Amino acid sequence: MDGVRARRESRRSLRRSLGDRPRSGSGSGRVVVAAAARRALLRQQPAAFPDVDNDTPRALLRRVIRNQPQVSPLAPPIADHKETEDAPSEPSSRRTSSMVELQLPDIVPEDTSISTFRMTRSRKKLSISEFERAADKRLPQNQAHSTLDSTLARSLRMSLGSVLAPDTVEKRGLLRRPKNRKAIDIAAFEGGVEQNMQRKAQNYLVELQTASMIEAATATSDAEIMLNNTELFVQPQSVEQNQKKLPALEPRLSESKTPVQRSEISNATQEEGRLVGRVSSVGTDEGRTRRYSEEELINDGEHVDNMAHVSQETSVNDGEDEQGHSQQSEPVEQLSASAEVAGTINRWSSSLPSRSSSRSPVILKPRRSFSMSLREVVSRIIEELDVSDKEEEMANAVNEVEQEEISREAMEHHTNTGYSEHLEKKLTERAESQIIMTPEEEVVAEGSVKHQDSAKPEPEMARSARAGSLSRHSHAFSSEKSGTKPLEEAVEQADELLEDRAVMGQLDGPEEESTEDEVEMEGQESEEGSMKTPTFVRAPAYRPLPLLPTPRSAKPAAPESPLQPQRAKPVPKTSRKSQKKQREPALASSYIKQIFRHYAKMPVARDAYQIIEKCCEKYFKQLSDDLEVYAHHAGRKTVEMADLELLMRRQRLVTDKMPLHVLIERYLPMEYRKLLIPVAVSGNKVIPSKSMWSSGKW
Amino acid sequence: MRRGAPRGTLRGLLRSHKPQLRLAAGGDLLVHLNFLMFLHRLAEEARTNAFENKSKTIKPEHTIAAAKVILKRSRG
Repeated sequence: MDGVRARRESRRSLRRSLGDRPRSGSGSGRVVVAAAARRALLRQQPAAFPDVDNDTPRALLRRVIRNQPQVSPLAPPIADHKETEDAPSEPSSRRTSSMVELQLPDIVPEDTSISTFRMTRSRKKLSISEFERAADKRLPQNQAHSTLDSTLARSLRMSLGSVLAPDTVEKRGLLRRPKNRKAIDIAAFEGGVEQNMQRKAQNYLVELQTASMIEAATATSDAEIMLNNTELFVQPQSVEQNQKKLPALEPRLSESKTPVQRSEISNATQEEGRLVGRVSSVGTDEGRTRRYSEEELINDGEHVDNMAHVSQETSVNDGEDEQGHSQQSEPVEQLSASAEVAGTINRWSSSLPSRSSSRSPVILKPRRSFSMSLREVVSRIIEELDVSDKEEEMANAVNEVEQEEISREAMEHHTNTGYSEHLEKKLTERAESQIIMTPEEEVVAEGSVKHQDSAKPEPEMARSARAGSLSRHSHAFSSEKSGTKPLEEAVEQADELLEDRAVMGQLDGPEEESTEDEVEMEGQESEEGSMKTPTFVRAPAYRPLPLLPTPRSAKPAAPESPLQPQRAKPVPKTSRKSQKKQREPALASSYIKQIFRHYAKMPVARDAYQIIEKCCEKYFKQLSDDLEVYAHHAGRKTVEMADLELLMRRQRLVTDKMPLHVLIERYLPMEYRKLLIPVAVSGNKVIPSKSMWSSGKW
Repeated sequence: MRRGAPRGTLRGLLRSHKPQLRLAAGGDLLVHLNFLMFLHRLAEEARTNAFENKSKTIKPEHTIAAAKVILKRSRG
């Protein structure tokens, strides 16, 4: 009891001492005061330990509660200091050491309390209640420690300003935000990223589909195909769309057709639709058209077999075909009405309704095995159109058909490549002129032609497919066809533009095999005395059937008939070209003979010279076409030396090892060499002089 | 070659084929050069064919076969 009283007194004394210097605010002051309080406590140590009423934890708590409001927000250190010092003052002497401990940690939290002032402000009341709960829990365990801990915790809490339970208060205050953030960031971010990726892919696909669908809705099927082809990655879709659209075309057109020719017509319409698409896409890149054309080639390959089957049917049932063909012509005309190319086809189909070639389907069959190009399929369609009418002069029909084919091919080539459209008009004009001329031709060569043609179909039928096609060509050649020459020129042009067609390689093989068969036909043809030059010249027009077989066919016939009548014949054929052809054959044959003999160093048969003559004409045609292409490519209308050098380089005459000048020196006479190769002479002079007046560039 | 190059003829030939196409000053000479080389190749090929057939003269068949090859090669 005395000890308790003594302690009370010590506390009071401490309070007073503390109260005397509450405002000092200095750590040293506090230390002094604390030391003084310590001394006071030490003196009163023997006094009783806690008073039952005052020193119990309950009393402590009461005091704390009472003291709590004393703490002013403005002077937290003082209030804390007071509280902390009050608390230890009450306990017994046993707390002296604890007081020191309390005070030391008090000082520390006091300092920190200032920094955490704002945090503590709002949460003080809450912390009290929680502190009480925690204190109540701890009190039964160890009174002194619990009080100490409670005070410590309270002070710490006050300083830190944590609101939550004592255990987790500190941790949560520090780590709350980062924890939540991390959780969100890691999980949400990954999920978001994946979603974004998926969304992007979905949107992309959706956009593609919508774009394609929109295009399908608005433009024509083939135009869409072209538009779709603009996107490289869309190619598979476009192909699918093509396939979808083609069947779409089929049902439309197959309604009005006979069942016999439904497949054929559908294919034909598809191809003509493609033609339409091609025409609409004239302005597009060539690469696109090539890609499209390649797809078409692939598709054509599929249709080729169908066509072959259908053609067999037509050949067998010509009578039935007439009606079917007439029906076929209608949808064909419908489709073609929209396109220039198709318009010409209409013209041909309409102008040549009477032309029939029962042989043509037979002949077409072998040809189909070769060609994968659309133009030939379309030509076949039109030829089969002609089949509807029977038995005209077969040679003429074949001739016309071939002319059509050539012109069609040329037309298609032009549409594909977007090259000179004016050539198409030329072709149409020539076709029309040829149509006019063919009746004349018929009169001239009727007898011989008919005789031969009647003989020819039989061997053709018996032959293999490939040979039959070639023989057909030979037939066409054997009959007149001078008017085809202008067509051929344009066709050659077009053909040369499409040199990268892989068809060539395929066709070379089969054609070579059929050469033997052609030799027999050539013997028959030689009797005619019809134009060989046009047939011979026409050979390059058929790219799928390269030049090689045709010269062979023409050459043996050539030596038998004199050259002059051959040249004279084309004169009446076409109005425009005839006059020029009179000028053209000015190249002296003796000159060629001389040169050839010089180079051959062997006796040459007289017949061989005819072949060489034909060869030269063909060569000049090729040359002129090539030079025109080169000059046009360079944006020039004049063929320059560079064009010729390029030509020679492409012919592998000029190489890196063999410069042009060496060739000039070797082949040309001196005077020409001087003109071609500039030579520097003394006096700062160059021969030939490149002054302003000599060259036309200035 | 005793004669000179038929320059006028060559120009006429080119004009007949391509009326819209012009030819530079020395272009026809190079055309002639090209033509000579073409005949040269043709003759060589025909000669080779004749040798293969063990013939002493060049027959039309040889020239036909030669023309096939050379025309294709000189397409440019």
